Amino acid sequence: MAGGITFTAVDSTKLATAEIFGRTIAELGAENPNIVCISPDLATSTKMADFLAKYPERFYNVGIAEQNMIGIAAGMAKSGLIPFASCFSVFASLRALDQVHTDVCYQNVNVKIIGTHGGTSFGQAGSTHHAIEDIGVIRPLVNMTVIVPADGIETANAVKAAAATPGPFYIRINRGFDNVVYSTPDYGFKVGKAVVMNEGTDLTIIACGSCVYQAMQAASMLKHDQGLSIRVLNMHTIKPIDREAVLAAVKETRKIITVEDHTVIGGLGSAVAEVVVEGGKACAFRKLGLQDKWSAIGLHEDLLAMHEIDAEGIVKNVLEVMKMDFEADEDWGDEV
Amino acid sequence: MAKEVKITQSDLYAARIFFYAAIPLLKVICESEPKFGDKFIGKNFVFQISALYDKAEGGKFATHFVVEDGKWTTHVGAIHEKPDVEFEFSDLKKFIIFFTGKGMPLPKIKGILKLGILVPVLMALLRMAGLMQAKDKPEKFEDQIMLCKLYLYLIPNGMSQLNKLGHPDVKAVTGISPDRAYALIIEGYPELQSWIRMKAGKTMSGRGEYKRCKPFLAMKFKNPSLALDILMSKADMVQYIREENLFVDGAPEFGGTVGNLMFTVAYYALGTYLDEEK
Repeated sequence: MAGGITFTAVDSTKLATAEIFGRTIAELGAENPNIVCISPDLATSTKMADFLAKYPERFYNVGIAEQNMIGIAAGMAKSGLIPFASCFSVFASLRALDQVHTDVCYQNVNVKIIGTHGGTSFGQAGSTHHAIEDIGVIRPLVNMTVIVPADGIETANAVKAAAATPGPFYIRINRGFDNVVYSTPDYGFKVGKAVVMNEGTDLTIIACGSCVYQAMQAASMLKHDQGLSIRVLNMHTIKPIDREAVLAAVKETRKIITVEDHTVIGGLGSAVAEVVVEGGKACAFRKLGLQDKWSAIGLHEDLLAMHEIDAEGIVKNVLEVMKMDFEADEDWGDEV
Repeated sequence: MAKEVKITQSDLYAARIFFYAAIPLLKVICESEPKFGDKFIGKNFVFQISALYDKAEGGKFATHFVVEDGKWTTHVGAIHEKPDVEFEFSDLKKFIIFFTGKGMPLPKIKGILKLGILVPVLMALLRMAGLMQAKDKPEKFEDQIMLCKLYLYLIPNGMSQLNKLGHPDVKAVTGISPDRAYALIIEGYPELQSWIRMKAGKTMSGRGEYKRCKPFLAMKFKNPSLALDILMSKADMVQYIREENLFVDGAPEFGGTVGNLMFTVAYYALGTYLDEEK
């Protein structure tokens, strides 16, 4: 297996995404003695047990204290270590925000934050445990790289890239199992570069996280049922965003829908919109996600459907956007 | 009493293509080839081609050109009341027979004494007819490029004209189309590109690169000579795709749709329907 990752796509159907993170960090721990893990008493939930078992002397449980975890991680990074601090996304981004801001980003230290239970993936736990604003909160922080992997294999790639790249990273993964998007890690993952999952010219769907799989399903349904040619971009890196891919989508398809398991304010959709506006070329545009409201409590797949970020919801919105007129209706004269 | 000429719907389709898409190519000849275009420098006049048709507004179909110091402006489907030179066909059928090359029913020429205009106009018209009515592709490379340009500019415009006149086969495609463009491209020659944009029954055609978005489908020919093989129906499109002389970029499953639209334009522009009416 290329890149030293010892699990396969078959494994990824049996492993939760966080478990794949756990295995990856344990493998990286063998390669690099400077890698340490920190947890606010969540080693089981955030699946760091493999690392703990192999390298107990490099694992730190700081108790239920996310702010302390981030502050300690920043200090460790200052001393040359590469700390991976993992807890629920909602707490990493909101409760520990001041420490992330001042101790990590302002110091520009080499801390890797793994936010688990992202979006509505911990649906049954209720709104206090839904991380629906984390990207919007973390993205503006200077020096921070923000990645939302599409599945387990992409999570492994993101963690490896974070370990190899100096500076703060925020990697947001889901609780439980993700649908498998990639069967191999060798698809060209690169921080800051979107992956074209499907070529198309009628409209571009830009998605991140678990919504990438849903977008691909939607594109397939739209091709077979409607004859539509839909481009799908896996925008795994929200910051720095792949401006080139976004501007190409504007230029070449003139219609964009963003899909994220996050509020539509401040996340992927906002990041894409910033690029579109700066690009100066108009396009039809719609952001799918939580429309500035709290989510209900329920199973993740039900919540995806509720917020129209599952395949059927995306299809419905694509068909609506296909009918949107964003340009003055030209005279439709022929050039002579 | 003059014999009544029966004008069919097919005649109207053919006339639309000629008045709106083919005759305007005269300007392309004059702008592309200095040996024709230079003859109009310093001249100001109006040249019109028309065909009498009592059901048309104004009693005839016409397209006219306004030339000002050698610069041509085309007014498609528009009658000029006082052209300096006019070729007027006595009926639509004769006009079509003339332009499809099926016969030589000559028009009435108004302004025949204005030789300084008439002669260079006739030369440019003969150049266009000589290229477009040829059965085989020209040998000279520059002639191949010119003929490609004429074909590429004619075909999408012809499709758009048929759509605008409500041709059912064309409407069936455009009526259900999202906002899409289909392009014809000869690689390495930026001026040898053209396109048709469709959106919910509306169409527009243009020349050069389609810049609004990436075309839904682009037929990319390797060079002018190979393009003419396809455009003049001298080669099999599937075989040319297989041999990589033609590359279909985008949605290849719609290649057949474009091909059918091209054949529909050719059906009227070449007067094939006239043979079937006999």
